[in-house]
Amino acid sequence: MKLGRNTYTMVIAIVAGSLLVAGLVQLQDSGVGVGWGSWYGVLCIIAYFVGAVGVIWLCWFWLKLARAITSMAQSLKAEKPAFISPKANPLINELSEAVNSRIESYSGFLEQLRGQVKDLQIQVQLSRRQKGNIEAIIYSLHDAVIVVDEFDRLLMANEAAGKLFNFDFANSQYKPIDSLVVPDKREFVNFLRQSRQSKVEATRREIEFLQDERSKVYDCVISCVNDNKQQVCGVVAVLHDITKEKEIQRMKNDFVSHVSHELKTPLASIMAYSEMLNDGEADDEETRKQMYSVIQNQAKRLSRLIDDILNISRIESGLIKIEKKPVSLTMLIEEQLQMIKNYAEEKDIEIITQTPIIHDVVYADKDMISQVIVNLLSNAVKYTPRGGSVRIDIVVDETAGVAQVTVTDTGVGIPKDEIEHVFDKFYRVSANNNQAKGTGLGLNLVKQIIEKVHNGRVFVISEPGVGSTFGFELPLAVSSEVKTVH
Amino acid sequence: MAEKKILVVDDEIHIVHVVAIKLRNNGYEVISADNGAEAFEVACKAKPDVIVTDFQMPVLTGLELVEKLRQCELTKDIPVIMLTARNFAISQEQQKDLQIAQCLSKPFSPRELLGHIEDVLHDRAVN
Repeated sequence: MKLGRNTYTMVIAIVAGSLLVAGLVQLQDSGVGVGWGSWYGVLCIIAYFVGAVGVIWLCWFWLKLARAITSMAQSLKAEKPAFISPKANPLINELSEAVNSRIESYSGFLEQLRGQVKDLQIQVQLSRRQKGNIEAIIYSLHDAVIVVDEFDRLLMANEAAGKLFNFDFANSQYKPIDSLVVPDKREFVNFLRQSRQSKVEATRREIEFLQDERSKVYDCVISCVNDNKQQVCGVVAVLHDITKEKEIQRMKNDFVSHVSHELKTPLASIMAYSEMLNDGEADDEETRKQMYSVIQNQAKRLSRLIDDILNISRIESGLIKIEKKPVSLTMLIEEQLQMIKNYAEEKDIEIITQTPIIHDVVYADKDMISQVIVNLLSNAVKYTPRGGSVRIDIVVDETAGVAQVTVTDTGVGIPKDEIEHVFDKFYRVSANNNQAKGTGLGLNLVKQIIEKVHNGRVFVISEPGVGSTFGFELPLAVSSEVKTVH
Repeated sequence: MAEKKILVVDDEIHIVHVVAIKLRNNGYEVISADNGAEAFEVACKAKPDVIVTDFQMPVLTGLELVEKLRQCELTKDIPVIMLTARNFAISQEQQKDLQIAQCLSKPFSPRELLGHIEDVLHDRAVN
């Protein structure tokens, strides 16, 4: 480079000298009047020649330099800068060396950065995929999920949330949540705000909404999302529909309440009469006998009640031992009629039966079906006024493969609006409460035995003041099941 | 002194019977009804000194009976003792609002019931 610079200086000096000499010769020539033939002329030609050669050489040198600089610039501009060959141009060797040294020092750093960029790109891809997966999970959730930022603007909501609050997420993103929630669901927005302001990590509340004209209960869990500075930067709300669980809980409580009431009623009589006997409150033998009799009857009632509750519970939980055999319905009815006969005679109620049917064999648990028949017969007698009648029929439909048993009374009947509830647990027809005592479990047990244990069907037809028909249908036993009829 | 009149209301005939024996043995006159509606009519006519009623009854429940009694000029001051097989069926506010003198859980002791009736009558005489 040093040599190049000297050459360059020397060439410039020669050119400048030549031009100076040529100028002086011209000046001399104009003053003294010397022509082309004089030595001045020769000197002038030489000076011009040397000057011209110098200018040409300078131009060539300038071009070479410009090319070298352009090449260097292009090399630097490239994505991966290449080292500049020192031989490329001796004039810029020093510059090349400096640039090469810089390139060398940066290329390592550049490689490191490239590696980091690649890592980041992979992480971004992974994050995107994870975000997609999380969103897919959240969107597929049955629970409503809503995410809002620190200004209560909607960031994300799944389909269930859209349905619950009646908004379309695509058109609602970044809108304030209170503008999306209808006024009758404002309790949720208020809870969301309170939770965000309290900065508590997770809060829970049961919220009741009116949805599709039905009251629904949601278990609402709100979690605050904190940033690095422990400031709430978002809130996630998850709303789980617990309407069914609530209903089951209520039914369970009702059941326990009913059971305790039904158990306490006979127990109250037993305890009161025992105390009276113990205190000597019965004046004569007759009264004492009556008291013992009440205690005995109430104890039996209690025992029946416990049996019924346990049977229903066992059937419901599938724990009851079922012994199915081919049994003739006519034979079962005959047996149960003997049990109910005395009770019917006491009330002067006529029991009407039909001619026995031969092909009425069902594959069933004999004791359970006996219980069903006795429950239906005793109910019919219980709710039929003195002098009435109770009729029991069997109809066999061999085409459909079912046997149907009906018990028809001339009793008080059931009001239309109460019919659908008569098979419910502990349900007693309020209008007929005075007619007879009952636990409200007998018909439920009938339903459980027929429908749950034997895949049959129960039904009731009734007209207040005229009477009721309670019945059940059971599948007929197939020939392979009928070996011995019990 | 005239016999005090007690109205016993329960749809369980055995309960009415046992309470009646206990009260008659202790010098009280006993009248009875087996549901809330009948009890209200009897109360209006007979004006008992105390009413002992069951909580859960057909036609008119024990609570509905007391509400009706409190609205009627003839019966509004009659002390009521409630028997119930359902614990916590009546809140303390309801008991206070309807001036129910005592709530007894079933199973109950006729001896204790007699004690409560005597206390209620005594308070009434003092006041």
